[in-house]
Amino acid sequence: MRARLVARDDVLRIVDLLRARGYDVVAPFMGRGRDTWFDLVTDDNRSAVALHVPNPYYPPKRYVLPHIERLMVLRNVNGRFEAEAQAETQRLAVFGIRSCDLAGIKHLDRFYLGREYRDVYYESLRRGMFLVNMACTDPEQDIGPDCFCVCADTGPAARDGFDLQLVDLGDSFMAVAGTPQGEELFSEPIFARAHESDVARRRDVLAQARRSFRANTSWFTAAVRAVSTDSIPEKTWEEIGNRCLECGGCTFVCPACTCFTVTDRAIGPDTYERVRVWDSCALNGFTRMAGGFNPRRAVHDRRNRRFFRKLSHYFVQRELSVACVGCGRCAAVCHGDIGMPSVVEMIRRSLAEAFQSQVAKPQGPVRADR
Amino acid sequence: MTGLDANVYLPRPAILDRVEDEIADVRSFYWHFEDPADDERFAGFLPGQFAQVSVIGAGEFPASLPPSPTERERFFTVRKVGSVTDALHALKPGDGFGVRGPYGNGFPMDAYEGMDLVFVAGGIGIIPLRSCIVYAMHHRQRYGRIQVFYGARTPRELMYRTAMDAWAAAEGVECYRTVDRADETWDGPVGVVGSLFKLPGVTVPVGNTVAFVCGPPIMFRFVIKDLLAMGLPEGRIVSTLERYMKCGVGKCGHCCIGVAYVCVDGPVFTYEQIRKLGEDI
Repeated sequence: MRARLVARDDVLRIVDLLRARGYDVVAPFMGRGRDTWFDLVTDDNRSAVALHVPNPYYPPKRYVLPHIERLMVLRNVNGRFEAEAQAETQRLAVFGIRSCDLAGIKHLDRFYLGREYRDVYYESLRRGMFLVNMACTDPEQDIGPDCFCVCADTGPAARDGFDLQLVDLGDSFMAVAGTPQGEELFSEPIFARAHESDVARRRDVLAQARRSFRANTSWFTAAVRAVSTDSIPEKTWEEIGNRCLECGGCTFVCPACTCFTVTDRAIGPDTYERVRVWDSCALNGFTRMAGGFNPRRAVHDRRNRRFFRKLSHYFVQRELSVACVGCGRCAAVCHGDIGMPSVVEMIRRSLAEAFQSQVAKPQGPVRADR
Repeated sequence: MTGLDANVYLPRPAILDRVEDEIADVRSFYWHFEDPADDERFAGFLPGQFAQVSVIGAGEFPASLPPSPTERERFFTVRKVGSVTDALHALKPGDGFGVRGPYGNGFPMDAYEGMDLVFVAGGIGIIPLRSCIVYAMHHRQRYGRIQVFYGARTPRELMYRTAMDAWAAAEGVECYRTVDRADETWDGPVGVVGSLFKLPGVTVPVGNTVAFVCGPPIMFRFVIKDLLAMGLPEGRIVSTLERYMKCGVGKCGHCCIGVAYVCVDGPVFTYEQIRKLGEDI
């Protein structure tokens, strides 16, 4: 294992090292109560970077998929159509990205860069990125009541997808390199040799973290099977739909949601910018076509859509994972309590009910010897 | 800037050559790419594919490609139905607009070789099917019987009149037209498009037939019923779906139904697939 030890007092020097290498560094900060956010590290706020925090509701996804992003500038040049593409590049390091959000970015990588068309805008932001994963080990701060990464197989410590991973051992952090860029940092003097005993401590800390998860859970396997075999009663989708307020919150906080809309707006005489903006399948207009026809009329058709897209085995195979990373944000923000764990539980319960009613009413002749 | 040459979202400049009014609010726009290299890239499109059309200041929308790849002229036929199509209708010959594509799977015309082709269209549903009809007529020897059944609400709303008159007169194509409500100019059949199947003298073979169905939802449902009753299997009824689309390349998510992104996995589906996708036509 390419691992080193960093003394507790030195761990924020990783931020300095990255800044010295030309990265803009974003890191988590903490306000009052549950209020946390990712922000650009400056000389002024550097000492306030929070190591253990409740994961910000606004996921770091926005650094690869900004919620509004200019795609191109369109010009009317004496009647001629002109389109000039503009893609931002960045040299950005995310310090303290949680394992669930890392899995989110891996999911987005496969979605935007895989298959027949590559998304150059995503690629251009993603390319220069350096990801420092902080394993969630603090049961008070990191592991919140809504977390269920252990069900989604994404945490509390990511297996891959990071350049550098930090696990808090108390007096020091164990740093693991996931890429040559991460390993390059190990030439710096703050990184000391790690020993067998440190590796064992890391294992113990993570085992303890796994035991710190609360009640929130998600029985993905059962739900994936039910969604993929189309065996969820319409009644269950309706119950889910009835609880949806159509605010779109679940999709906007989701690290694995990918949908966007595109719109043109004037920025000068005969000049327009084409931007893409996060969109949500929860919103009524998401599928409404010009002329007014909307194939998804009922709310439950739209809710059905979100969970079908995330849980259908076809898409799980296509993107190599359930499009849910277990961060629990949807559960935290949903006013109708139909975040992923609740929906999976409702699906599971409806299957159990269907199974029980089948057992209660046996079909065909009953064997005499029973 | 990196890799922007491979930018799938970037429309290429096109110029409007002329317009032709088809019916009220529906107009054909004949155009060409400014750069002949773009035209070469575009030339390999298949019947049933679509393109994304940008109009300066208004936005972008997906449009069927009514011409057959065997024709030289490029055109779109578009109904004025929203803000971008309104803006397209306001363009004058010589004006520029943007086109990217072609996108989607298209009709597998090669797979239909040797089969009888039945085209059933209602209203402006004829637009995407026009491409297949012209294509099949161009490769006449590769297909069996070719039948076109077309219905519109009134005689004034019959699309592609000149072209269809020519098809009706051509050898090897049977072309039937009907209207829901006749007027003094009309002496042809009156009734829904499905009623054409029962006209005296009309036989529709189903043994080795593929049926292309395109039209408004209500027409689609009734025609499907008729075709299934005539013995056509679900897998040999094909259609092309319309959805709200923003990207055309499987990323924006708007057109995703069931396990399919209509823009990349479709827009052409068999009725068997459509039924399994589980959403309204």
